[in-house]
Amino acid sequence: MAASLRALARRLLGVERTPTYYLPWLTVNGLECALILNNVEVRFEPGKNEGPFPATVVQHDADGTVVGTSEVSVIDTEAAVEVPMAPTASGYGFVTVSMEHLRSDLYVTVSDGGSYTATHGRFEFVETYPLRVRILFAVLGRLLAPFGRTVPAFVRDQYAYSGRDGRSHLLLLNLSNVTNRIRVVAHWDGPPGAARLVAVPPRGARLLDVGTLVPAAEVLTPLALRLEGNAWFNLYLVGAGPRDLAGLLSLMHVK
Amino acid sequence: MSSNLSALLSATFYEAGDEHRVELVHQQDRKARRQLASLDLAVYDPEGKHLVAVPMDTHQEILDLGALVGSVAGALPRVMVLLDARYDERIFPYRPHHYGFLHHRGSTAPALYYAVNAVLGGVPDRIGATGLTTLETYIFLRRAFAERYSVLLGNPARFSTAEAQVTAYYATGRASQVVALPPKTHVEMELAAEHAGEHLQRVEIKALFRLASYVVGRRADSGELVLFDHLFSYHR
Repeated sequence: MAASLRALARRLLGVERTPTYYLPWLTVNGLECALILNNVEVRFEPGKNEGPFPATVVQHDADGTVVGTSEVSVIDTEAAVEVPMAPTASGYGFVTVSMEHLRSDLYVTVSDGGSYTATHGRFEFVETYPLRVRILFAVLGRLLAPFGRTVPAFVRDQYAYSGRDGRSHLLLLNLSNVTNRIRVVAHWDGPPGAARLVAVPPRGARLLDVGTLVPAAEVLTPLALRLEGNAWFNLYLVGAGPRDLAGLLSLMHVK
Repeated sequence: MSSNLSALLSATFYEAGDEHRVELVHQQDRKARRQLASLDLAVYDPEGKHLVAVPMDTHQEILDLGALVGSVAGALPRVMVLLDARYDERIFPYRPHHYGFLHHRGSTAPALYYAVNAVLGGVPDRIGATGLTTLETYIFLRRAFAERYSVLLGNPARFSTAEAQVTAYYATGRASQVVALPPKTHVEMELAAEHAGEHLQRVEIKALFRLASYVVGRRADSGELVLFDHLFSYHR
């Protein structure tokens, strides 16, 4: 019921959904980030396993601007192509990969030169809103922002953890072409706790320190987070160690 | 509560000193909170010896594995933790206990979030497990890092010994290892980072039965975990 109402609302508003494979990228504090493109998972599927497999990679910066575009070809199902992400001043964002020919999960790696962490991307979609809807969201967003609120068109729930040694951040990805005001509310052992309203530029991203949502504690604190955004978004969990963003970081997709 | 319950057997590995948490229910399953029908947690040593069955309160949202199994793990390098859940598919839009959080106390490495291995059951058409899940692969960065790589394999079966072939691929060469895992046993199989002068590029696991499997990367000097990830199935 909710899904069909949502679909109806999309049709009435003229929202376009474009299937898109996306991954996060991180180069903060000199970290190196690279994608691993491959098509190994169709290795045993006749009709799908004959290369080459071309793909277009588009890297969006935190402010949504396109940092770089590259054309890549994966020669066959045993090949893997590493695509380095261009470092920027912000040091994070998301990258899209065209999947007309690739049917495998793609990896994103983060390295400090000595070791690396990895996760994979998600094949979902991005949404494009017509001008009138963008104007509507801009007006509503400015009206609600002083109260720390947003239009809760999309809601996600996610557990995250905060501790002295094991830290977490949220990498919020705006998968739409409108400024996305995302409200993050944290709960831990009781009523709703701290809330943040984060404005994410179209096709942009923002890092939010989970530790700022909970009083500092020595022990690891599990937090139940609720995220509400006025437009389509997703997030990756960013794991950090005691050096926080100054050290190596890990990434993890969510459902 | 439905009389037609679904089942999910999940597996993970606990190492002493780890801060290790597992979601018992996914937070998005709002109606499912505190409605998990049952959950049995059992712990096994590498030889398959049943160490303990922990009575579970299904009202919990997050399990602290260190608190639950840390004392029975004792001096063992690692124990396998099996989570055997029964749940109503209509209540859970996805499936129970999906994500884990892992960080060794005092480690300088980053905290790792990971997806807990769904070994048997779950909701196959929703978790993309419609293909063969006993033939899996994982790709590594090709440059050399000061890391040791391995796969963690566990056999959750009650009666059957499972044989697994683990093949590490290099630019032109490969190296295979075969292991037979009696019921409830588990092992960490090292993957040579270099073979005949070539760096590790990929690993593949072939088994007749579904095994608990994770790819592991550890810093070569300290052994700190930097990679704890599931593999990917062929035949998507």
